[in-house]
Amino acid sequence: MGGYSDSEDWKDIVPIPQDDGSPNPLAAIAYTEEYSEAMSYLRAVMGIDEKSDRVLGLTEHIIQMNPAHYTVWLYRADILIELKKDLLQELEWLNTISLKNSKNFQIWHHRQVVMSHIPNIPSNERPFLARVFAKDAKNYHVWSYRQWLVRHFSLWDSELPYVESLLQSDVRNNSAWNHRWFIIFARHTDPEKHSIRNNNADSEVSPETIEKEIEYTKAAISTAPQNQSPWNYLRGILRKQRKGLVPMKAFAEQFADLEKEDEVRSSHALDFLADVYAEEQNKEQSAKALELLARRYDPIRKNYWDYRRSLLGLGQVGA
Amino acid sequence: MKIKPKRIKVSHKSKNRPPLHQLHRRDRNGNLTSKARHNMASDVTAEAAGQDEQDRSISRDGTDPLSLEARFDEQGRPQVPELYTSSPPIRDHLTTDTSISQDDVVKQCLPRLIKCSRSLVGVNSYGIPSLKREDHIKFLQEAIEYPRYIAFDPVRPWVIYWSLTALSLLGENVELYQQRVVETLSPCQNFGGGFGGGNGQLSHVATSYAVVLSLAMAGGGKNMDMLNRRALWRWLGELKQTDGGFRVCVGGEEDVRGAYCSMVIISLLALPLELPPNAPARAHGFTSFLDGLPEYLSRCQTYEGGVSAVPQSEAHGAYAFCVLACLCILGPPNEMISKYLDLPLLLSWLSSRQSAPEGGFNGRTNKLVDGCYSHWVGGCWPLIQAALSESPENPNAAKSTVGSLYSKEGLTRFVLSCCQADGGGMRDKPNTFPDAYHTCYTLAGLSSTQHDSGYSGMRHGEAGYPLDSAFAWESSKEDSDGPKNEALELIDAGDTLTSLHPIYVIPWGVVERCRELFSKKTGF
Ligand SMILES: [Zn+2]
Repeated sequence: MGGYSDSEDWKDIVPIPQDDGSPNPLAAIAYTEEYSEAMSYLRAVMGIDEKSDRVLGLTEHIIQMNPAHYTVWLYRADILIELKKDLLQELEWLNTISLKNSKNFQIWHHRQVVMSHIPNIPSNERPFLARVFAKDAKNYHVWSYRQWLVRHFSLWDSELPYVESLLQSDVRNNSAWNHRWFIIFARHTDPEKHSIRNNNADSEVSPETIEKEIEYTKAAISTAPQNQSPWNYLRGILRKQRKGLVPMKAFAEQFADLEKEDEVRSSHALDFLADVYAEEQNKEQSAKALELLARRYDPIRKNYWDYRRSLLGLGQVGA
Repeated sequence: MKIKPKRIKVSHKSKNRPPLHQLHRRDRNGNLTSKARHNMASDVTAEAAGQDEQDRSISRDGTDPLSLEARFDEQGRPQVPELYTSSPPIRDHLTTDTSISQDDVVKQCLPRLIKCSRSLVGVNSYGIPSLKREDHIKFLQEAIEYPRYIAFDPVRPWVIYWSLTALSLLGENVELYQQRVVETLSPCQNFGGGFGGGNGQLSHVATSYAVVLSLAMAGGGKNMDMLNRRALWRWLGELKQTDGGFRVCVGGEEDVRGAYCSMVIISLLALPLELPPNAPARAHGFTSFLDGLPEYLSRCQTYEGGVSAVPQSEAHGAYAFCVLACLCILGPPNEMISKYLDLPLLLSWLSSRQSAPEGGFNGRTNKLVDGCYSHWVGGCWPLIQAALSESPENPNAAKSTVGSLYSKEGLTRFVLSCCQADGGGMRDKPNTFPDAYHTCYTLAGLSSTQHDSGYSGMRHGEAGYPLDSAFAWESSKEDSDGPKNEALELIDAGDTLTSLHPIYVIPWGVVERCRELFSKKTGF
């Protein structure tokens, strides 16, 4: 164990043991001797701001014991950059621990810092991410990292096939839908200015692209109409298009015909139609759709549907 | 595709059994009737044996699936509404990874939600199990001592915050820990300002948030003396970014947690809003911590209506809370939320987070329910409802006539039926292990179903500190004329939790104490 105190390489360093503030601290961790010793040496070298190969090794050792340690990751990144280390080799090392600890977001921030010092995207990067997504296709931090990567290296034109393969295997993967939005629409917005609220800082997306996205989304809805992801995506497109929801009325009515209350195939279609009818000033129909949602097809959200109905300015729901 | 037949109205004329819901009704003044003060579990078993005829006349016919009236089957057992005992009314045929894991969770939750209706032990007349208060307290008392795993080394202040908050929710006096909290957290403070996860760790805004709130909870004034407010202010200045947001630590990532945690610290300690001279964002022309901040938060709303960690990422419940709470620190809710977010779109997304039959919240579209979203999503509701409600500053707003916009019953059922672990502590969902984090946020969510809080508005001419509106919230008193809180109707009298401040997520009194301590302070 005592790898550092016994080592010639470290004999110039006086370790700083952890100050626990009290003999009886709260949230006391059951440290191993190995971890405590390594941390004592880390405190000592950070105190003198030593950036060296041996400290790099020390950070690796600690990360292996505790990959959630943000301090160690940040210090490691500083050392790598300052010593001009081979960053591709760092990525390779990262790959092995990332697969084991993919939920840990320090790892992904570290990867981003390292990648921002590499001039071109390494050819293995996206295949590696595909392996991570194969384990968890909705990993939030990995998706955020991927979005940074796409913007940083301007990978806009080569992302779509991958997104489509993910949607092909799980059309309910909302992270993949969000990424689709990112590469088709967010690409044309200025992330430092654009907001949904103001619908601004947005350069035109071509009508052909919009049409293509609408068709893709309609097809996705048809395969599983009770899947909210493409409905949300469709509404997003229609907001961009600024022509309202009414043009999609016939499409939505395929899944929810108010004349056939027992045959509703999608609560999201009802929700959509409630807005379509309101847009057409057909408040009674709108109210009817909302009542169906409240009573029968999505009653856990009854209060919300009732609230939406109250905004129509009609009377109270009958009995 | 499976379409469920219409709900059939069933008559539940109880021939042999009393209407057990009588046992814990409230009287017209909202006070619990004497019978209700008993422990429901023993009431049910003891009193189910025989009853006088009179009560029977109140037995209810028909079944509104959402009615709060407790209902009983022929054996007098409580019936849980069909909404919580069967698959959703519409399901697609197509099977994918998402539907497989969703079905799996429903399979785990349903027996727990239904079992209640099959058993008379430990559940009340609504089929809801009681809160295992003593077990949870014991679990937390252990968790705050020994979180055990090395992985917790960088988040020790969080473990303390989660435990103290959860213990406070359960009515425990956490000032017992006062001295040990100060002693444990002191070595986490860095000379350069802020607190790391442990001794010698870099200052981080999330651990600093947990430290400040924990110190405040465990003893207020005396504890706060250990905070180096000037250093904290200077360090926060280093985190402010030129796009308006905050990094979580120097060299760390920027996301809306950074913004929320920073603004909680700044407002609670009444730090100067002016950026310190060392702040790099000054080079960009910024002079205040608030510069560009609401605009930055606004850019995190996604096409779905929810809010993401950084602009253009996926909408997520935990980040939605950070953004809404941060906006509510910056100004009155009805001004800030509708000015910087598309409110109808947000409302639609937020409402979609509640899932049936489980009753709990998920964090994203097509993801699974998880107890911790009881707070992250549940905690958004009071802030949103305040934005929709009438207030002194917004007298023209339509007074909400619908009460709560989500199903408090669903959340209550999910938390009490599915999230309570056998040996104490709360968990993500059935078949996961409990921990302090889930105990804290699951209970915080349950508490917010029981106590409505709202924005009370600032009294005129009171303008002092620019962030005064963050403190102009109140927990609405339960008065006799107000609408009854449906969540309180559903649970046993003994299962009420302490109320928390909707922005600071600590007890109200603790917020007030901080406010008193620092609001009059000028400089450091
Ligand atoms: Zn959770």
